[in-house]
Amino acid sequence: MSIALFSSPPATHLPSPSSPHSTAKTQLALRHFISLRPKKQPPFWVFAENGAGSTSTAAIVEEDKPAAAEEKVSEDKKEESLGSNGSVAVDATAAPAPVTAFQDPRWIGGTWDLTQFQKDGKTDWDAVIDAEARRRKWLQDNPESSNNDNPIVFDTSIIPWWAWIKRYHLPEAELLNGRAAMIGFIMAYLVDSLTGVGLVDQMGNFFCKTLLFVAVVGVLVIRKNEDIETVKRLLEESTFYDKQWQATWQDETSSSSMKD
Amino acid sequence: MASIALNLKTFVGLRQASPENNPITALAKPSSTTTAARKQLRINAAKTSPKVTGRNLRVAVVGGGPAGGSAAETLAKGGIETFLIERKLDNCKPCGGAIPLCMVGEFDLPLDIIDRRVTKMKMISPSNVAVDIGQTLKPHEYIGMVRREVLDAFLRDRAATAGATLINGLFLKMEMPSSKTAPYRLHYTDYNAKTGVSGGKKTLEVDAVIGADGANSRIAKSINAGDYEYAIAFQERVKIPDEKMKYYEDLAEMYVGDDVSPDFYGWVFPKCDHVAVGTGTVTHKPDIKKFQLATRLRARDKIAGGKIIRVEAHPIPEHPRPRRLLDRAALVGDAAGYVTKCSGEGIYFAAKSGRMCAEAIVEGSENGKRMVEEGDLRKYLEKWDKTYWPTYKVLDVLQKLFYRSNPAREAFVEMCADEYVQKMTFDSYLYKKVAPGNPIEDLKLAVNTIGSLVRANALRREMDKLSV
Repeated sequence: MSIALFSSPPATHLPSPSSPHSTAKTQLALRHFISLRPKKQPPFWVFAENGAGSTSTAAIVEEDKPAAAEEKVSEDKKEESLGSNGSVAVDATAAPAPVTAFQDPRWIGGTWDLTQFQKDGKTDWDAVIDAEARRRKWLQDNPESSNNDNPIVFDTSIIPWWAWIKRYHLPEAELLNGRAAMIGFIMAYLVDSLTGVGLVDQMGNFFCKTLLFVAVVGVLVIRKNEDIETVKRLLEESTFYDKQWQATWQDETSSSSMKD
Repeated sequence: MASIALNLKTFVGLRQASPENNPITALAKPSSTTTAARKQLRINAAKTSPKVTGRNLRVAVVGGGPAGGSAAETLAKGGIETFLIERKLDNCKPCGGAIPLCMVGEFDLPLDIIDRRVTKMKMISPSNVAVDIGQTLKPHEYIGMVRREVLDAFLRDRAATAGATLINGLFLKMEMPSSKTAPYRLHYTDYNAKTGVSGGKKTLEVDAVIGADGANSRIAKSINAGDYEYAIAFQERVKIPDEKMKYYEDLAEMYVGDDVSPDFYGWVFPKCDHVAVGTGTVTHKPDIKKFQLATRLRARDKIAGGKIIRVEAHPIPEHPRPRRLLDRAALVGDAAGYVTKCSGEGIYFAAKSGRMCAEAIVEGSENGKRMVEEGDLRKYLEKWDKTYWPTYKVLDVLQKLFYRSNPAREAFVEMCADEYVQKMTFDSYLYKKVAPGNPIEDLKLAVNTIGSLVRANALRREMDKLSV
């Protein structure tokens, strides 16, 4: 259990800042995370042993240690959350066992049984989010037939809005505010050093206010380098269908203008 | 926002594979080469055009599907000498076969040509969350499922009864007119020709042409209408056991997901005594068989024990051709590209556009007494664009928003559980009017949509983390 304690703090911090970035960066961040832990394989394997007595019934399956780690796993592909989010779960390719349907003791009647997600008397929404992500990942890799006898009725809106905000919006908001603050400070300093206009006087100037507006919008809209291209294409794409419809009218005006 | 922007990038990236600027450049090309051939292009009313003496205006409708049949009927009723050319009178056109409620009223369809009335639809998300839509339908509202051979034959026969001449033949090519009053010369092979071995090649001279010959229209080629992007719809007719068929008695299913189609949906539609299981795609046509297998897998429990009785595929246009009209030749229906995005609906729009074009010709020629001009036919385009542009645009926005990735599809299915959404969807589908709706509800809907999209994308980010 001490290993579990050791692994959770780094797990909570590292993956979340990397979530808005592309998967390449995520992988980079996680590799850093892996390098922090001196020996990756044994702790996971040992934890699987420890986890036998815990409430969680899943175990991590690793590619290079399939036999030992999955002695109590009935399904051949499960990932484990170490009590909180974002643990390093290795994606195991299917072992010789046949692919079965998605199963999880907390998944009852086509939805997540919230009573099984209790932590300190309150529902652990982060665990619900993790569980649903795992289910969707499972189904993405092993599509299942939709069955009328076991309809799936889970709706993500049962997870309250503040749980989503706390987990996804706040880290990114922190990042963006940080960027905006840095840009603002540098620009205010530069303008002051170049023109001698102090911060309060800058705020009164229309041009400076425009710059401020541009900086804020820029920080909000452009979060990765690729977003610049995306925004340019967005405008073109939103009017593409209109242009296709109006093509026949361009024909008319161009030829009629030729006749004039 | 960033995640939506990221998704947008991939969507446009997919589109880059297809010739994006083709419609626009194709447009530039023909206009420069054919301005010499085209002599006159005034947009005046035809009141100044000469009277047609001694006979009525002659119009040929090439193609005898819903578009051609309704065009020919309207022309014939308007007193115009109509020729309807159809190459296969018993054609079992592969098709979804769904018609909206308004079509039954507007086209006076007898209720016995409707095989089934679908009143329930099930939308199934990539993670198999199933949502029932149709709870807001009133008892008299339904989506009609028809057999194309029955519908097409009915419309054609009605046109023939109204006075159109039905020609069973294959259109070969068309000669453009040499002057404003000169006729079009259509060359076709008459399958009923008494001349036996000579091949039955005949010529027909008409004053105006309506091209209703479908997605691979030859009339469109003759007038250099340009190309469009199209989807391939692949469908298998499956005869399933009776107990399973009871489930599909009045229910159709839509499956969304990357496994089923990257830019469209898979479906199970009930037909007269079997179901049609199919899927479609625009951007990944070579993988269509893979998508079909995935669709069958998703519906496996419900079609288990079924036998495939027929396999068919057909193209579905994605947007109108760059040119829908040239002189006195106009395109209607699939030939013009009037299929909506998102749902891929085409039968109603084909029939309506055929009727609208015919009405424009009847009006411009004053019931066949005067020669028509391009301006008269342009009125049909104007009316069509004005009436249906909002519908097409809304569906285009829906497709761009909700069909681009699995999270978007999950959000889509979640949104469909909302009663307001169901009501708005069915109202606009069944009556073909983009209903304005309640602004407060619209605001709530917008907020819920954004919420669903954000949640689904957040879950997708979790999924990506899991796969590392």
